[in-house]
Amino acid sequence: MKILITGASGAIARLVASAISPKTELVGVDPRPAPSTSHFPGEFVVADYHSRKLDEVFKHHRFDAVLHLGRIRESQRYSPQYRFQMNVIGTQKLLELCRSNAVKNLIVLSTYHVYGAHKHNPLLLTEDSPLRASQSFPELADAVELDHAATTFMWKQREVRTTILRPVNIIGKHVRNTICSLLRSGICPKIVGFDPLLQFMDEKDVARALILALENEIPGVFNVAGEGVIAYSHAIRHAQAMAIPIPPIVSAGFVRLLDDVSKLGFPPYLMDYFKYPTIVCDDTFRKAFGYQPKVKTVQSLRNLGPLTERKLVPDTSFDESV
Amino acid sequence: MSDTVFGMLKRLLMETDLEKVKAILQKMEGFELIKVPGLDDRIARLNLDLNSAGFDRWGMHPETLRKFAPILYLLYKKYFRVETSGIEKLPPGRALFVGNHGGQVPLDAMMAGLSLFLEGEPPRVARAMVERWVPTVPFVSSLFTRIGAMVGDPVNCRELLMHDQSVLVFPEGVRGSGKLFKDRYQLQRFGTGFMRLALETKTPIVPVAIIGTEETYPSVFNFEALAKLIGAPYFPVTPFFPLLGPLGLLPLPAKVTVRFGDPISFEGDANEPEELIRDKVQMVKDALQAEINTGLEKRGENVFSGAAK
Repeated sequence: MKILITGASGAIARLVASAISPKTELVGVDPRPAPSTSHFPGEFVVADYHSRKLDEVFKHHRFDAVLHLGRIRESQRYSPQYRFQMNVIGTQKLLELCRSNAVKNLIVLSTYHVYGAHKHNPLLLTEDSPLRASQSFPELADAVELDHAATTFMWKQREVRTTILRPVNIIGKHVRNTICSLLRSGICPKIVGFDPLLQFMDEKDVARALILALENEIPGVFNVAGEGVIAYSHAIRHAQAMAIPIPPIVSAGFVRLLDDVSKLGFPPYLMDYFKYPTIVCDDTFRKAFGYQPKVKTVQSLRNLGPLTERKLVPDTSFDESV
Repeated sequence: MSDTVFGMLKRLLMETDLEKVKAILQKMEGFELIKVPGLDDRIARLNLDLNSAGFDRWGMHPETLRKFAPILYLLYKKYFRVETSGIEKLPPGRALFVGNHGGQVPLDAMMAGLSLFLEGEPPRVARAMVERWVPTVPFVSSLFTRIGAMVGDPVNCRELLMHDQSVLVFPEGVRGSGKLFKDRYQLQRFGTGFMRLALETKTPIVPVAIIGTEETYPSVFNFEALAKLIGAPYFPVTPFFPLLGPLGLLPLPAKVTVRFGDPISFEGDANEPEELIRDKVQMVKDALQAEINTGLEKRGENVFSGAAK
């Protein structure tokens, strides 16, 4: 079995790679260079997903499965234009390559953000809920487009079994995304009077869910979550951070200013996610794949600590980690 | 002593830091007045499925309930002097509680919910279905979620009933809660969604007549223009509010009675035509109005005292 993993220098890809059976042949691709300290267990190609180089990678290897994890999540470091180019155009290219090279199994890691934070959201969002994100948050348009492209592909190209996962906030020692940077920064803006429920999922559980998806090959769109919900203020407390109260009236403009001046790592468009709950229901995934999260939310928030930059060691206690 | 209690209440209302709120409440528990008998036992028997952070699947957080229990108990026992009837004949397992809505502020939901928690056997959380604008109200939105309430979306209601939870609905919606004092205890038009959900999930319906809360804020006029401006469904004007300012916000201490009617089980298809559903809804409405009328009769003339049973 030969698998292509995109976003290969990212934390999730490295966790999946280290947990995957050694009999599988892995090829990693990422526009970023390979991390210097941790060895990717397989060939590593530095390439943009929309470049010609990817064609050759596909031609050279005959992949059985593709794990598309390479979505740029850090809105702070990359412009919306760049993210659109990489996430949407790149994904479309990758999907086309999967089709033309007869890849049997494709797994796409999307995000729960596509549902959008909205005051009218039901408490638990199922996979059928409308994707409202791009309506109110143009910054998330690339995420919605990516999800949409993958879903359309799943329905049109039945010969490629496509599984789309929509995970909740991914946190973990090795993960660098907006929510992790926010909690690590030690100062978390909190809108006065609003303390929405959030869901977190440990990096190890994400890797576990991806491997389950790879093994079971059940096509469909699935929400994946961790242990359950937690209030934002409690999450801040468990991560040993401090909440800065922000009055709701001045919030949007104020946060934008704060964001520009201090680079706090709190994108203004996320404000609504810290006001209204966006909770997903992952019962379908649990039932279909036999998934059970193993890391307690409180535990993974406590263990967040400073970013363990590129020191990922193959985790032998992968299955017993709690 | 009452001075100190009210001083603390004032501080509590001004306080936004949860840790400080906790400290004040702990101090208040020192007074016998607001010691909630058997609180730990009742919370333990709620049989909630909690995660490591202490939340259940829908964001209910029993520790928040524990923290606010003294205040809620004070309101329940001392302020509104709530009495119940018929609580012993509730069906085991899930139920759909259907109440009369009135009195501008969801005190009715709070009192009915508290009676189920404090006096029900076994104690249960009534998951109250709240108005769609509640999530936009600061503080209220998060507090409600922690103590088990959520937006009255059919999706939420179905999900709860499927998981054997008890749900409290007010099919009148804002038509009921926003009605004027002169219309008190006259049931407004009922929505029919609750009946379809009860049929679909085969849940018994329990009419709950809440007597007294409709007199707490005697609204004489609905200031619609102002309501629209602040995005609220209505804006009540009472003889005391907004005339007396914040003091006018205090509810009148009417005596409250929560009367549980006989459970009604309906059979049928959830996708029946609207007329058939409406007939069934009318049966619930009639049963509830009868329960209300009995309650009003028993209470007699005096809104602030009156017999319960």
